[in-house]
Amino acid sequence: MNTSGAFRERLGEAWTEIRENPGRSFLQALGVMLGVASVLGGFSISDSQRQQSERIFARIGGIDKLNVLPTDTVYQGTPSALHTANLGLRLDDAVEGGQVATAKAVNATSVMKQARARVRSEFSDQERDVSGIGADYVAMNGYEIEQGRDFSSHDYATGAPVAVLGSEAASVFFPTGEIVGKSLRVGEVPVTVIGVFRDKSFRFREGQQNIFAWRNRILAVPSLLVAARMEGDQYHRLDKVTFRVPDLAAMADFSRELTSLVTANHRLQNDFRLDDVGKRMERQRSQGDVYNVIFMLSGVLALIGGGMVNVNVQLASLKERVREVGVKMAIGAPGREIFKTFMTEALLLTLLGSAAGFVIGIIFSWVITKSIGVPLSLAPMSFLWATLLALVFGFLFALYPAAKASRQSPMEALRYE
Amino acid sequence: MKIIETRGLTKVYGSNGNAVHALRGIDLDVESGEFVALIGPSGSGKSTLMAILGCLDTPSGGGYALDGRQVEKLSGSDLAALRNEKIGFVFQQYNLLPKATILRNVELPMLYAGVPRKERRQRALELLEQVGIPQKANTLPGELSGGQRQRVAIARALANRPALLLADEPTGALDSKTGQEVLALFRELHTQGNTVVLVTHDPAIAATAERRVELYDGLILHDFMEKAA
Repeated sequence: MNTSGAFRERLGEAWTEIRENPGRSFLQALGVMLGVASVLGGFSISDSQRQQSERIFARIGGIDKLNVLPTDTVYQGTPSALHTANLGLRLDDAVEGGQVATAKAVNATSVMKQARARVRSEFSDQERDVSGIGADYVAMNGYEIEQGRDFSSHDYATGAPVAVLGSEAASVFFPTGEIVGKSLRVGEVPVTVIGVFRDKSFRFREGQQNIFAWRNRILAVPSLLVAARMEGDQYHRLDKVTFRVPDLAAMADFSRELTSLVTANHRLQNDFRLDDVGKRMERQRSQGDVYNVIFMLSGVLALIGGGMVNVNVQLASLKERVREVGVKMAIGAPGREIFKTFMTEALLLTLLGSAAGFVIGIIFSWVITKSIGVPLSLAPMSFLWATLLALVFGFLFALYPAAKASRQSPMEALRYE
Repeated sequence: MKIIETRGLTKVYGSNGNAVHALRGIDLDVESGEFVALIGPSGSGKSTLMAILGCLDTPSGGGYALDGRQVEKLSGSDLAALRNEKIGFVFQQYNLLPKATILRNVELPMLYAGVPRKERRQRALELLEQVGIPQKANTLPGELSGGQRQRVAIARALANRPALLLADEPTGALDSKTGQEVLALFRELHTQGNTVVLVTHDPAIAATAERRVELYDGLILHDFMEKAA
């Protein structure tokens, strides 16, 4: 048989058959439509959600971070000499952490010391959190300078009396808009404002509050300023040390080495914890994967249900078409040709059903994401998966009716009334 | 040259107690270019014989050679190929595909034979011209009269230049005038050298053929040849 021509003929014939029997074809394609819509919709809803949370993490400066945070140590009775000798998390931990063998993977470090102080300007007088920051804190937390300048390494090294304000803090303390170069009193320390951070804003859903509002309240000074001038702490204790490790594979080795280093520095006391942001993200992602599996499963169930309907409709329609099959056999169509005709029809129907399913699925996920206020994102893989699943099930469920049609005796098929 | 050669052909339906012997031993030879009418009352076995001659069914016993090929041992797909190549069927109910155009109906046997598209189309148009309805190529069978449909069926039967044209009550569904026209077409095809076997229960129609084979109870009762004029 002349192959390409024959295929085109079969395709044309299948199309005629589908067009002439719209009701029956619709019933047959219904399962495929729902299955494809469900797989596609599920994927794109959870993907939209995931992309939204990834956008948040990108705004806070990436997820490839390892935080070291102090924890409460539970003392039993009187503190021992070891307890008393422990200085807690401090600048040395950050510096030495950056020097261990596996620290090659670290490409940025930030330190932070929080303090509470009375902050006064010409216009305002408030009790505020003051962030003593150091090293790559600004970049690693996604802050950008809007006015003035960033801290220099000299500022950090000397604990210079300078401050950079978040947009909210800037508008509270300097409502006139003249900010850079002005003076503030932080506690008892006079500092000069050298810059303002760009306003940070992110709303998870439209109309919701800005979840980054607190970040605009920042009042940043060098951490050494907090330690030395405000708290008189010669050990430069810290509230948070963060290492950026872009290579997630190196993260595990580095955190192991860091743990043993910090444990040794802290007199073998477990008074800190490591918080791997990447790992936390992965846990959240795996939740998304669960939804994907659920939607995929419901899609598969729809396809199986639809496939069963398909088999029944095909078998019923076969009764109408027995004579036609008989005629074709009489004029020389071999069984495999009849088989191919039925399979072509089923697969064409599956493809048309998939296309309709795409439309339904896109509308469905658009409505859902719109209603929860997340921008819609369509994953190309979901189209592939949905079509693939539909084709596999379409193929499997078409086999039986097609085989049955092709195995008829031409004699009986011709006699069939 | 013999187109049909059967020896001791038998066909039994059912088994043991309620077996029906439709054919009890048919010896029939048909030469190339003959016009034969198979005649007999219902139940005489003529439909069964026609099915076996048409390779739609296989005999229970005996031998059958079609155009020199022994067919009783062939598989289903070999039989399909043989039907496609050697036999043109014309049925009482026309049996055209209702959703395909006239042209496509005529092209279909050539499609199964793997004839290229262009050649297929050209031959189909020629055949429609030959049976006298060249202007209806793109209509559906439902729009034609019975006589026209039977002409299309004959064109389809001729598509692959078959060795044997097998017609089963081809005028059964037509009025007598149209029936006569269709019979005239068969006679014309016969004079052009086609081998025609016509199955009928009507002696008047059988009289069209130059040779009449009368079946009764699964056996050949008479085999009557008219003198060539």
